[in-house]
Amino acid sequence: MKIIVAIKQVPERDAPMRIAGKWIEEADLQFAMNEPDAYALEEALQLREKHGGEVAVVSVGPERAGATIREALAKGADRAIHIVCEDLAARDALGVARLLAAAIRPENPDLVLTGLQSEDLGLGQTGVIVAELLGLPHSTLILQVEKTGGGENRIRVKRELEAGWFQFIEMPTPAALTIQSGGNKLRYATLMGIKRAKTKEVRTLAAAELDAGGEPVVRLEQISLPKKQKSTQILPGTGKEAAAALVEKLKFEVRVL
Amino acid sequence: MTVVLPSPAEPGHFLLAEKLIFAALLIASVALFWRRFGPVLRRILESKKDPDFRLAPVSGRVRDFVWEVMLQARVIRERPLPGFAHALVFWAFCAFALVTVNHCAVIFGSGFLDPNGIAGRFYFCFAAAFAVACAAGILGLFLRRFFVRPRWLGPLSRESGLIALLIFLLMVTYLAAFFVSAASPAARALWWAHTLTLLFFLPVIPHTKHLHLVLSPFAVFLSRGGFSRIPPLAGDEDFGLVAGRDLTQLASLQAYSCVECGRCTEHCPASNTGKILNPKQVVLGLRAYLNEYGPKSEEPLIGRHESQEAIFKCTTCGACEYQCPVGIEHLPIIVGLRRGAVNTGEWQDSHGAKLFLALERGSNALGLSASERDRFVEKNALPIYDGTQEYCLWLGCMGGYDPKGREIILSLVRVMNHLGVTFGVLRKEKCTGDPVRRLGNDLVFQQLAESNLEALKSSNTRKIVSICPHCVRTIQEDWKEFGAPPPVEHHSEFLARYASRLPPAQDRKKIVFHDPCYLGRYRGVYDEPRAVAALAGQVVDPERSRERSFCCGAGGGLAFLGEETGERVSHARAKELTATGAQVVGAACPFCNTMFRDALAAQGPGAPELLDIAQLAAQGLPKNDPI
Amino acid sequence: MSVLLVLEERDGRIGRISWEAYAAAQALGASANLPVTTVVIGANTQALAAEARAKHPGKVVRVEHALLAPYTADGYTIALEQLIRAESPEYVLFPHTYQVRDFAPALATRLGEVLIGDVVAIGDGPTFTRQLMQGRLNGAYRHIGSGPCLVSVQAGAFRAEPLAAAPDGDAAPVSVFTPQLEASQIRTRPGDPFRGAAQTVDLASAQLIVSVGRGIKEAENLPMVQELANALGAELAASRPICDNGWLPMERQVGSSGQSVAPRLYLAVGISGAIQHLVGMKGSQCIVAINKDPDAPIFEVADYGIVGDLFEVVPALTEAIKAARQ
Repeated sequence: MKIIVAIKQVPERDAPMRIAGKWIEEADLQFAMNEPDAYALEEALQLREKHGGEVAVVSVGPERAGATIREALAKGADRAIHIVCEDLAARDALGVARLLAAAIRPENPDLVLTGLQSEDLGLGQTGVIVAELLGLPHSTLILQVEKTGGGENRIRVKRELEAGWFQFIEMPTPAALTIQSGGNKLRYATLMGIKRAKTKEVRTLAAAELDAGGEPVVRLEQISLPKKQKSTQILPGTGKEAAAALVEKLKFEVRVL
Repeated sequence: MTVVLPSPAEPGHFLLAEKLIFAALLIASVALFWRRFGPVLRRILESKKDPDFRLAPVSGRVRDFVWEVMLQARVIRERPLPGFAHALVFWAFCAFALVTVNHCAVIFGSGFLDPNGIAGRFYFCFAAAFAVACAAGILGLFLRRFFVRPRWLGPLSRESGLIALLIFLLMVTYLAAFFVSAASPAARALWWAHTLTLLFFLPVIPHTKHLHLVLSPFAVFLSRGGFSRIPPLAGDEDFGLVAGRDLTQLASLQAYSCVECGRCTEHCPASNTGKILNPKQVVLGLRAYLNEYGPKSEEPLIGRHESQEAIFKCTTCGACEYQCPVGIEHLPIIVGLRRGAVNTGEWQDSHGAKLFLALERGSNALGLSASERDRFVEKNALPIYDGTQEYCLWLGCMGGYDPKGREIILSLVRVMNHLGVTFGVLRKEKCTGDPVRRLGNDLVFQQLAESNLEALKSSNTRKIVSICPHCVRTIQEDWKEFGAPPPVEHHSEFLARYASRLPPAQDRKKIVFHDPCYLGRYRGVYDEPRAVAALAGQVVDPERSRERSFCCGAGGGLAFLGEETGERVSHARAKELTATGAQVVGAACPFCNTMFRDALAAQGPGAPELLDIAQLAAQGLPKNDPI
Repeated sequence: MSVLLVLEERDGRIGRISWEAYAAAQALGASANLPVTTVVIGANTQALAAEARAKHPGKVVRVEHALLAPYTADGYTIALEQLIRAESPEYVLFPHTYQVRDFAPALATRLGEVLIGDVVAIGDGPTFTRQLMQGRLNGAYRHIGSGPCLVSVQAGAFRAEPLAAAPDGDAAPVSVFTPQLEASQIRTRPGDPFRGAAQTVDLASAQLIVSVGRGIKEAENLPMVQELANALGAELAASRPICDNGWLPMERQVGSSGQSVAPRLYLAVGISGAIQHLVGMKGSQCIVAINKDPDAPIFEVADYGIVGDLFEVVPALTEAIKAARQ
C-alpha cells in the first residue's frame, strides 16, 4: 500500500499567547508535530507493517517544519515531501489543501491520511478538502482502517459518531481519511529511528512552483484573548445555593445540560 | 633450650617414574585448565573495548584492590561471619602460593623452602596456621551452604560441595604432613594426595564459579570507577546492549567473575517483593549468553538468557552494585540492556511511551502544561533567577508540579529567606531527564540535557540547589556527557551547613530517617540530612539504613511506569520505617515522599507523619517570618 | 438572497443543536436583512419538514431523494451543491456536528469556498468568531470570497430560545427539491451505528465524568454520587484509593496508573488533587471540584469550585440538575 500522510508542525501546547499583529509571537516558541497527525502517521505505519508498501509524509510549512518532518521519518516514514511555504497565514484552508493536492496527485497513493484537525487553527477541514480536490472518496473521525478481504482494493474503516456510537464504512481505494486521536498507541521516537532518518529522502518544493492558484476566500482578521482567563470561580453559599449556581454554569457556560 | 618449629615431612627422593607421571599429570592439568579458561579469556578479550575506560589514576585502583581484594572488606562487611570465614580461606590461598610452588618443585629436587632451615620452618608454620583457619573456615562455609541453606545462595550446588572438599583435602593433607616422618611411606602418600588434589583442583576452577579466583582481582582492579557509571554511546551504530557484539570487555570480565553469592539479590527491592528481577540472574545471564553465542554474536541479548520484563523492574537503587564483593557493576549492565530495548524501539510499554512522548513534546515528565509551574512561581512570588543571586533553586518536575513537592520547595524557601541566602528560580525548566536516562532513552535524554545546559549557560547560573537527589545526580554526572554542568548540591547539604543558624523546633518528635538511594549510595551523603532532621527531634535509623537503605520503589523511571504488581516496594519499606515507633518519617527526596504518602496512608490512622527535611528545618522558624 | 440553514436529524427529530444554529441564522438574517430558509434533507423528510414548519414561518425546503439515506458525504455534498446553486443564498449555516464536519468542507470546495467552522459568535460585518489554540485564543474571520459564505455553529454557542409556533395562515409553502443523484456517485457504504462494548467502561471517550475520592469516606456513600452521575448522564470514575479499597473496579480509576480522560466536564467529588490523579484528568475541558478543604490542590486546576461538605452539596446538586433537565 502506498500511503501519504499529511502532517503539520504546530506550536507546543504550552505556548504563551502573546499577540503580535494577526498571529502570536513565534520567536521563543517550541514546535511539535500536530498530535492528531501523529495518530495518522501511526495508523499508516501500522498498515505498512501489516500489508507492506510505503509511507511518505508531506507537510506544508516554513523551514522550521523540517524538524517535524525528520521526526516523522525517525518514527518510521520512508520519505518526505516538504512544501516550503513561509506565508502560511496568508492562505486559507482551500489554499493549503491545493498545495497538498498538487504534491500528492502525481504520487497516486492508495490512501491519504491526515489528522482530524490541527492543534493551532483547529479547522478540521484540510483532509476533506484534499479528498475533494483529488476526487477521492473520504471519511472523517476514523479510528481504525482495515483492508477488506478479496482481491479488490477496498477498505473498511471505523468511524466515531457522537455520544459513544460508532459505525463501519466501506469504500474503495484510493481514498482519503481524517484520523481521530486515540485509535492507536503512539510510538515514541527512538535514537535508532533518528539515526536512520538521516539517510531518508526529503524532497523540498517551493509553494510558488506548485502553481496551486486561487486567492483566499476567508480571512482571519484579528485574534484576541478570550475574556475569561482560566481562574477558579468558587461558587459561594450554602450547599443548595452553590448547587444552583453550578447548574447555571453547567447550562450556559459549560453547556452540558 | 631452643624451640624447634615443626615442619611438614618432605619425601627425600622420587623415582624417575614418579617424576615422569607427575610431569605428565601437571601438563594434563594445566592443559585442561587452559582448555576451559582459554576460551573464557578469549571471549573477554574479544569483546568490544570500553570506550571511556582510563587506567589512570592507578592509585585509586590500587587502593580499591587492597581494600576489597586483599583485605576482603566488602566480603566481610556485608555478611560478617561467613565473610570472615571466606577471608580466612582467601588469605590461606595467598599464604599457600609459595608453599604450592615449592611443593611442585620438591619432586624435581628444587624445593626452595628448606624444611630444615629457620626461614623455611617459619614459613611452613605460618602456612600451617592459615591451613587450620582455612580448614575451619571452609568447614563452616560448607555447613552453612548445605545445612543452614540461606535463601540468597540459591539452590544447592554440587560444585560448591566439590570445591569445599578439595580445599579441605588440601589443607588436611598439608597439616597431616607435620605428623609423619620424612622417610615414611605416609609422607610420600600425603605428598601425592596433596598433589593429586591440587592437579584435580586446577582444571576444575574454570568450570565453576571459582573462576573468580583468577578473574575477580582483575574485575576489581579494572572497574569503571564511580558508582552506576553509565558509559556514553560510541558512534552512530551504538544503541546500548542489544546483542553480544555490544558487550564490552569489562562487562564480560564481570560476568565471568560472578561468585553467585547472591548478595545483590538479597538487597534488591524488586527481588524482595516478589518481582521477577534477580540481579544475580542478570549477570549470570550474560555469562550464559557468552558461553552460548560468544562476544561477536548478533543474537539479541534479550531472549533465552535475559528477560526484558525483569530488567524493567529495576529501580536503579544500586544496592546490588554497591556491595558486590567481586566488583561487578550491575547498573551499567541493566541500563545498557534497557538502552538496547528502548533506543531500538523494541520496548513496547504504554506508560513508558507516554513518558517519552510527554518529554518529546513538553517540559516535564508528568505531561503537564508548563503554565502550571509558571502559576506556582507567580502565586508564591518566587524570585526569578537573574544572575545576581547566589543560588539557582532548581524546582524539578516534582517541586514544580506536585502539590507535596511544592510544599517542600516552599519550606526550603522559608528557610533560605530566614537565612538571608539569595536565590532565584529559572523562568523555564525542563526535566533533567533522570527517568528517561535510567530507562535507556538516549534520544530524549540528550535533547533534555542539551536544552537545559544551554538555558543554564545563558542564565549565568553559578550554583544550583535542588530538593531532588535524582535531579542532583543527573545534573552533576549524567549531563557531563553533553557539556559542563554548574556545581549542584542537594538541599540537605546546603541546610546542614547552616544548621547551627537554624532554630530548633519547639515540639520535638521521634523521627525515622529514610536514606534516599540517590543521596546515600549514589552520593555518599548520610550525615547531613540527619543533622538537619535533628533540628526537629530525635533521629533514629530503621533496620536497613545508610548504605543498606531499602529503596522506596520510585527510581529507575519506575514511578512513571504505572501500578506495581504484588507487594509494593514502598509498602514493604514503610512497614520497616513505622516499626521503629517513630512519629515522623523524615524524607529527603520528593519521589520517596510520593511513594510513602500512599504507603503510610494505607497503614491507617496512627501511621507516622511524613515530612521532608526542609519541612523539618522550617518547623523551628518563627511563625511570623515573612515568606 | 437568503440565509440557508441546514437542519440535522437526530433520532428522527430535528436535534437541539440545529435549533441553536437556527437562532444564529435568525440573528444573522436580521442583521443582514435577509430571510431565513430552513432545509431538511434525507430520504423521507415529511415529518422533519412539519417540525421545521411548526417553528419557522419562513421558507422550508425538503431535499429528498432515496439515495440520501443513510447519510453519506457524497450524497449530501452533491445534493446540497445543487440546492445552493439553485437558491443562491448569501449564507449557508449548519450546526457543527460530526456529520457536518464530514461533508461541509467538501461542499464548500465544490463552490470554491471555505467553511468557517465551529463558530462561537457572529458579530458586525459580519465577522465570525472561532476558537484557536485549543480555546486559548479567539479569531475573528471574515468572508471575502464571491460565492456563498458557509458557516457552522458550535453547540451551545447560541441559545435555542423556545420559539413560538408560526401562525398557520402566514406560513410560506414547504417546497420539495429533488437532487440529481446516481447510485454510482455514492462511493462509501456506511454500516449501521452501534455502541461500543457495553461491559467495558470507556472513560477515555466519556464526555461527562463524575469522579469520587477519599472524601466520600465509606463505600455506603457511593450511591449518592452514582445518583448525581445518573442525573447528569455521566460516567462514574474514581481516584486510586477508592479503587484500591475495592469500592469501584480498577477500570474506573483515573490517574497516572489508571485511565487518562479528557471529557467536557469532570466533576471531582471529595478528591484532593494529588498529582497522580491530576495527570489523568488535566485534559478535561471543564473541571468542577467539590471539597471541604479550601486549600485542596484540586482547586488550582478547577474552573468552578464549591468549598463545602459534599454530603450536603451532592444531593442538592442532583436535585438541581434533575429540575433543570425537565
